[in-house]
Amino acid sequence: MPVTRVLYPLYQLGNPQLRIFRPNWFLTLVRPGKEQPPDTVQFRTPMEMTKCDIKNYLENIYNVPVGAVRTRIQFGSNKKRNHRNQKIKQPDYKVAYVQLAQGQTFSFPDVFPEKDKTPEEGSMEEMEQKFMEDEKQRQKLDPRRGGVTEWFGL
Amino acid sequence: MAARTRLPLLFPKNLPPFRNQRLAHTEAAVKEPAYPPIIPSLTAKSKSARGRQVDEQTFARNADTWYQHFTKTAYIPGLPEKYTLSPGGRPGERRSSRPLLRPQCRGKQEQTVGPFLRNLVTGLSFSLAKYNPLFLSSSLDIDPNVHFYWRRGQTIIPKGHRRGRQEPTRFQIDDRPNSQIRITEQLPQFISLEDSYAAEVQEVTLSPSVMPLFRRQYDNNMFTGAKLPDPACYGHTQFHLVPDRYHRDRMARLQQSDQVEVFLRANALTSLFAWTGAQAMYQGFWNHEDVTRPFVSQAVITDGKFFSFFCYQLNTVALSVETDANNPRKNLLWGTESLRLYDSVQDGEVVGLNDDVLKLLVQFLMNKQ
Repeated sequence: MPVTRVLYPLYQLGNPQLRIFRPNWFLTLVRPGKEQPPDTVQFRTPMEMTKCDIKNYLENIYNVPVGAVRTRIQFGSNKKRNHRNQKIKQPDYKVAYVQLAQGQTFSFPDVFPEKDKTPEEGSMEEMEQKFMEDEKQRQKLDPRRGGVTEWFGL
Repeated sequence: MAARTRLPLLFPKNLPPFRNQRLAHTEAAVKEPAYPPIIPSLTAKSKSARGRQVDEQTFARNADTWYQHFTKTAYIPGLPEKYTLSPGGRPGERRSSRPLLRPQCRGKQEQTVGPFLRNLVTGLSFSLAKYNPLFLSSSLDIDPNVHFYWRRGQTIIPKGHRRGRQEPTRFQIDDRPNSQIRITEQLPQFISLEDSYAAEVQEVTLSPSVMPLFRRQYDNNMFTGAKLPDPACYGHTQFHLVPDRYHRDRMARLQQSDQVEVFLRANALTSLFAWTGAQAMYQGFWNHEDVTRPFVSQAVITDGKFFSFFCYQLNTVALSVETDANNPRKNLLWGTESLRLYDSVQDGEVVGLNDDVLKLLVQFLMNKQ
């Protein structure tokens, strides 16, 4: 845990007495790019967080039983260049693979599910869509002419 | 060359007198400075450093199901019918102690239990040679190297100049048992080849690289512990130690007691597959030349207090993609849960010795043609 000087807010009369102290670290749960076993969860973590830190963080704050933690550091790309042809470095980050204990499994949720796009009966959108389809059909060329332009011919 | 008769020009003037005389009384007081031994680095990329590094297999959580797929091995709990674990003696019963068996599970495993296990194996195999004629011409390896290399499954190469091509996944096991017994004749099969068709192996579709199961391969080799003209080229029994990292007490401290048996199974599976497969390779069997007879080996894994017994029957080595299709044969692994040898040691007396474990060990060693 990085040692930083913390400025606690001044206590005002009537404020809650109980304060919860949490590390100023943030784990990002990400969808694994490569398929992982069902008990493995993938996180992006701050660079200075160690395996033990991750284990303690998950166990004490979220009550997640942690079996094993593996970490690696992902090199951010250094290939991009800006308009002055200077190299642009994407920041590095640490990736943690956490294996859950006690036979728990995790699958990343489908955050943006596919919506049903058919419009309601008799609504404005439906009429618009119908009109557009008709118009497209009307503007299509005669298939018997085999793609020859309209102005050409006898 | 002529001997030097004159003193050198830069002769030091304040030499101690009688420098050629040995002073008998003061010599004992002179102490040789004790320097630490010069040993090669542990991390360097050199041959001598390679000799110091330990090839410990890596085991992840729930590794046994993964290894079962990669080696096409079905695990059958319990031992083959040949062995009987009589339930008569319970570990709670108090029995007399024996001087031979007084292991002390203190400190590092390798330094305490290792020599005990070695003594046990040498003593038992020597005294059982009367009853088991196989041991008369057997050979016992201490700390042998066992290697096996095989291919199974395919991957598509993600990047590089060969990107997009299919490539077989390669596996290499580098194992180092505590000791192993090799014999000149093959052990009999536990069940016939056709009986293994019904066994089921759990499929793992994920790439082996998502779990830390195998180390990076630098050279692929196969070795049973027997150099080529050695007649003792068949395996009998391997003896393994539980490494400190996977010791029962440490796992309990980490609250991973459910992984103890999993580790033992995975260890037995990899070691026995590697050893038995290497034996089959020495007889000329490989991917495209599948085994005509089953190969059999046994293993005992111990941490001094708990013993686990495993039997392996190798029915097929045709594991790569092109030969695995329509191959109904499966390798088989039998294994017990770990059995407690004794309860505790009090004042040099073993309390609650479980004779059945010893009986089973003797039965294992008495396995013969």
